Amino acid sequence: MNRVFKIVGFVVAMGVITSSLLIGMDVLTSERISRNEEALLQSKILDAFEIPYNTSNIYDTFVANVEQVDVTIEGTVVPIYRNPDTGSISFEIEGGGVWGPIIGVLTLNEDLVTIENVGILAQQETPGLGGRIVELPYLAKYEGVVFDPFVEVLKEGASAPNQVDAITGATSTSSAFQTILNDSYDQVVPAYQATLGGE
Amino acid sequence: MRKFWLKIQYTKWFNITKDGLFKENPIVVAVLGICSALAVTNRVENAIAMGLAVTFVVTASSLVVSMVRKVIPARVRMITYMVIISAFVIMVQMFLEAYFPVIAAALGAYLGLIVTNCIVMGRAEAFAVKNPMKYTFFDGIANSLGYTWILIAVAIVREALAFGTILNFRVMPETWVNWTVMALAPGGFFVLGLIIWGVREWAQNFEVAAE
Repeated sequence: MNRVFKIVGFVVAMGVITSSLLIGMDVLTSERISRNEEALLQSKILDAFEIPYNTSNIYDTFVANVEQVDVTIEGTVVPIYRNPDTGSISFEIEGGGVWGPIIGVLTLNEDLVTIENVGILAQQETPGLGGRIVELPYLAKYEGVVFDPFVEVLKEGASAPNQVDAITGATSTSSAFQTILNDSYDQVVPAYQATLGGE
Repeated sequence: MRKFWLKIQYTKWFNITKDGLFKENPIVVAVLGICSALAVTNRVENAIAMGLAVTFVVTASSLVVSMVRKVIPARVRMITYMVIISAFVIMVQMFLEAYFPVIAAALGAYLGLIVTNCIVMGRAEAFAVKNPMKYTFFDGIANSLGYTWILIAVAIVREALAFGTILNFRVMPETWVNWTVMALAPGGFFVLGLIIWGVREWAQNFEVAAE
């Protein structure tokens, strides 16, 4: 009996010590991590709008060149970033991938139908297969593709203006990405148009 | 000087270090932890970052295991290693994400997967739990640096052939045609295999078939 207590006591003590260490570490780093994430989002949007910047002035360039439109979707406020010179808009897209969430940035042309750029902020897909979704040559295939009626990611033979080739060997990631793109589009763009119309 | 050298050769810490770096190198001899060794070695900077992260995790977790070795109940010993190792890995991950986001992104999933790197658990069970902290420290450092130098060696060859650069400095002539295969997994296997062969040949470490 005594031995059981000893084991339980040890496990509890170990749990308390390690979790408090991790909580402490989280407190120390979380602010920087969220700032880095924000800088990554801003740099992706600046890339998409083709606005030049360097690592030290991301924030200032972003504030000076991009205007933010807040749109309310089902009670939550979603920021939409707009390039006042060209009228193109960027917003965050998010959804489930194969192993974890895929978070990205979708940039649309001023017609709100044509994709100008797709960027990936975070993903946990299989390295070498679905993980290739972060590769710029692959993402470049999405440029010019239209949400008319919706974007379709095909295993092979993408020919119509709304079709894109899937990642070879990563069918699940590709179809998950198709869902993420279309769902986000259907949610954000009508709300954005409604907000503009209401102004 | 010679006498001093001879004396050092018979100290325990010297032999522990030598074993970790060469004689019992975790990658070359034990062939542990090669998953990450193959995955992140297409660029030298990733190899260095991964090596340093593993060095920290191995050394710190071995030290903690060694410190509490007399109070760990034998029955929950493995799970204890696991908790200690994961705590350190998460801390390394948070640190890199906060201060070196580019490297954290380049290492991607492999950073979290240090938890499953056999070297860490292996050193805890094979050495740290039976030895005092001072030797454990040398053992942890030596084994993880043994891992790191192989990673860097592989990465130097791969980056030079695949991108014509080392640490982003151009080393190949401008006319060099990049060997894309070296940036991919097969290239890692080729180079790692050749290095393991070379080091074993040099160290005269041959596996003898059981009679």
